[in-house]
Order: sequence, then structure tokens, then C-alpha cells
Amino acid sequence: MQSVQTQEATAEPAEQALYEVRNKIHPRAVSGKFALSRWFFVWATQLVFYGLPWLSWNDRQAVLFDLVHRKFYIFGLVFWPQDIVYLSVLLIISAYSLFLFTAVGGRLWCGYACPQTVYTEIFMWIERRIEGDRMKRMKLDKASLNVRKVVIKAAKHGAWIAVALWTGFTFVGYFTPITELAGKVLNWSMGPWERFWVFFYAFATYGNAGWMREQVCKYMCPYARFQSAMFDRDTLIISYDQERGEPRGSRSKRADYKARGLGDCVDCGICVQVCPTGIDIRNGLQYECIGCAACIDGCNQVMDKMGYPRGLVRYSSENALENHLDFAGMIRRVVRPRILIYTAVLWTIIIVAAFALTNRVPVKVDVIRDRITMVAPDDPVVENVYRLQVMNTSEIPRQFRISASGLDGIELESQTQPIFIDGASQRVIPVRLRADKRQTRPGANRVLFTVETVGGDEQIVIEEDATFITPRSE
Amino acid sequence: MTTRRLIWILWPSFIVGGIAEVLFFTAFDPLDMMFLGYPITWSREAVYSVGFFVFWAICAASSTATCLLQLTSEKINR
Repeated sequence: MQSVQTQEATAEPAEQALYEVRNKIHPRAVSGKFALSRWFFVWATQLVFYGLPWLSWNDRQAVLFDLVHRKFYIFGLVFWPQDIVYLSVLLIISAYSLFLFTAVGGRLWCGYACPQTVYTEIFMWIERRIEGDRMKRMKLDKASLNVRKVVIKAAKHGAWIAVALWTGFTFVGYFTPITELAGKVLNWSMGPWERFWVFFYAFATYGNAGWMREQVCKYMCPYARFQSAMFDRDTLIISYDQERGEPRGSRSKRADYKARGLGDCVDCGICVQVCPTGIDIRNGLQYECIGCAACIDGCNQVMDKMGYPRGLVRYSSENALENHLDFAGMIRRVVRPRILIYTAVLWTIIIVAAFALTNRVPVKVDVIRDRITMVAPDDPVVENVYRLQVMNTSEIPRQFRISASGLDGIELESQTQPIFIDGASQRVIPVRLRADKRQTRPGANRVLFTVETVGGDEQIVIEEDATFITPRSE
Repeated sequence: MTTRRLIWILWPSFIVGGIAEVLFFTAFDPLDMMFLGYPITWSREAVYSVGFFVFWAICAASSTATCLLQLTSEKINR
């Protein structure tokens, strides 16, 4: 990472200024297999993002993070606040996948799937359709204010805001049923907070993808700062083949450039023009490089035109460049201890989590003992009061029978049994336990509540400990 | 520089505030909480939303302190 440090040192004055004083970057449009794969990911991720809230499952929205009722629905699964462990496991899996992908392929996430990249790509596409490609945009930005410029700029921002608002609406549609929300939007009767979050998220999308762009990656993204910890000498990075390219210089297509002592780089500057973060990949690995491979596509087109082999800028690794490894040699190096360890840890977590999830008991019971202990003088019967919180966490309605054991002759009194609890809901059931004082010890006695399902396909029995208090006789 | 510092303060606190929000409200249900000894009458949505801004503000205060302590002596003596 030596080159990164020197680069940072020379770039210091520009670094000092977020926001503006930066030179606005006008990336040139590029086509090629990497640009194509990025569009594939734009479509794939956005079809999921914009489409998912509209899917139904069990007569409800398939994916709904119902914050108001504190329940998350993901297809057939219902998550309760008690299931937070699965959320943390999901985060751990995401983090480990990111480590693994980064160690193998560098910033694949940044280049193809990160929302910042994806929305910037969409917004830049709109910009190109309305304002034209790089040269036209630069000219338009330099031009003094006139009607044409105002109309073009207004059209662009109008289109951006429309996409941003749709994105904000979709985002809120993950937290409040989207079909209801759509109805409320149409007759402008959204709740104040729904309205606020639609606009807040739309504003963030518009600002990040329209205005901030590469500055988010350069100055705001924590991942860009610690990615070097996951890189090693075999990690795929986008690199310029210095040995082959240098000394760079322009030449005519027919000239014998080798006789003139030139390398393959024609110094056309395309790699710089297409770069969304405005760096020159020929200066080596830099933390600003988001791994989008636009420079590879751009350079390959130039190499084709010149009749030179492709790959002057390509996915390679430090090791591969130094030892002249071919593609197969690079692939063989993927199998190395770091990758094996990441993979093993990742799969262990995934398997354990999947096992825990499929074996999740769909009923949870919590016993809360009331502080009151009823005892009448001369009466040998002691009474304790409890509240049983019974949660039916799945979507199947169930009937339950509650019983108690642990003391001889213990009696349970509650509402009429069996008790019905609807799917994905809970009930708090007051319960009285009575026991003969002579059968208990003064102080705390251990009792056991058994909550079992009645009927239904699946027999579930939950046992929960509780204490039964007998007052010490005076 | 001012804008940059503003983003240094507002951005990390936004992320950490969001994490704090998720952790806090997963553990505690707003409807079960008391506010200065009174039960909360707002909807959950309102508590979550306002709660997020409160967490963000607290984290921003911490970032501000960090920024303040980062100033070099030349900058303070100026």
C-alpha cells in the first residue's frame, strides 16, 4: 500500500475540501463486459428492492418490517423482538461475506452492488440521456445561464427527484404495508411520519446519487478506510500493467512504437475520463478506486482500436503482476489460508443459524409472578398469582392448555381452557396457584408451569420454572 | 472546511445513532416506557422517529467534542 500513501500525500490539498472546491467529475460513458455486469447488478438489486414490498404471502405483505406492531415478516417467517439474535447473526454473515469477497476479489461490492454505486449509475444514466455525454455536459456546465440550460437542468433534476421519491416511497413501504401506503399517497392522507420518512429518504437518495457521488466513497464510507486490512498480495485489484505500458506516449497506429522505445499505453487518458472517482489508475492502487472496472472497459476499447492485446488495465493481483502469473495461476492462489479460514467461519455460522432457525420453537412462554401472596388466617391454603405471557410466534392459530406441578395437591385456576391464541400474537393470562401450606416449605418453593398445545398438527410442550411463596409462620 | 467538519460530525453520528436506535428499541417497547414519570401517549412510530433524532443528536454531540479536541494548538491560539 506504499503507493496509496504517496498518492494521499500529493492529493492533500484536494482532500481538504469536502464539499466543493472539488472539481466536478464528468465521467465519460463506457461500454464493455464490466459495464454490462454492473447494469446486470443494477437491475437485479433494484428489481428486488422496488418489487419485494409488492409481493404477498399468507394474505399479507411478504416482506414487512412492521415496526408499529414490533414484528418482522419475511415470507413464511415471523420475527419478534425476542429473535434479535437472528438479526445479529444476519449482520455477522453479511460482514463475513464482505470480508471473504473483499479478500478474494477486492472491492466487488463497491464496484457492482453498493447502493451508492447503483443509484449513482441510475442517476448518471438519466443525466446522460438528458444532458448528453461528457463533452456536452462539460460545455453545458461552463455555459452561462440561458433558457436552454435552465430547461435541461430542470428536466434532469425533475427526473432525479421522481426516481428519488419513488425510492423513498418504496423504502417506507418496507415498514408500513405498501398497498395501503400507495392509497394514502394517492389521496395525500399519509401519516406525518410516513410523509417525513418518504421525503427524508428521497432527499438522501437525490443528494447522494445526484450531488455527492464519489465523495460518499472517498470521504464518508468507513469500508473504504478499512478494506486494506482484508487485502493481501493475492487479492484481485484493478491494476495497470506498468511493465507493458511504460513508457507511455502517443503514436500513430502504424508507427513501430517498440522501435521508438514506447510501451503499450498510448496515453489517451480514457481511463481517467471514465473514472467515477476521477483518479488515474496508472498511479497504482489507490483507496479512492472503487473497483468499478470502467477503466478496464475503456482501455480495452482503445487496445482493440490500436490492434494491441487487451488487458493493459485488468483485474490482477500484486503477486500476479510481479511473477507474471496467468489467469489460471491467479485462480490457484485463491486457495490460501486466509480465504479458507474466512470460508470455514462463514459456512459454520450459516449452517448453525439455519439449523437454529428451522428448529425454532414457535411458542414462547414467560412467567411473571405477582408480588401478592394470599393467605387467610386459619386457612391452610396459600395462593400465589402469576401472569403467563404466551406468545404464538408462528402464523398458525393454536389452542393451549396450562397446568402446574411441583407441589403435592397444587391447584391451578385460570380462564376457561383451552386458551385460543391467534397466529403471530400473544396473550397475557392471569393464573392463580393454590397449595396446602403443609405440603410446602416456608419461603420459596419450586413449581413448574407446563404450556402445551391442544390439537393441531404439531405437539408443543413448554415448561417454565416459577417460585411459589409460602409466608413463614409467625 | 466548515462543511467538511459538519459532515465529520453529522455522518458518523447518523450511522451510530441508527445502530443505537435499532438496539435500544429492539430491547425496549416505547409503549412500556415512562417519560419523566408519565406514560408515553405518542404512537410507536412517533417515538421511534423522534428517538432516532435524539440518538443522532447525542452522537453528534460526541463527534463535536472529538472535532473540538482535534484542533491543533496553532488553530486555538490564532
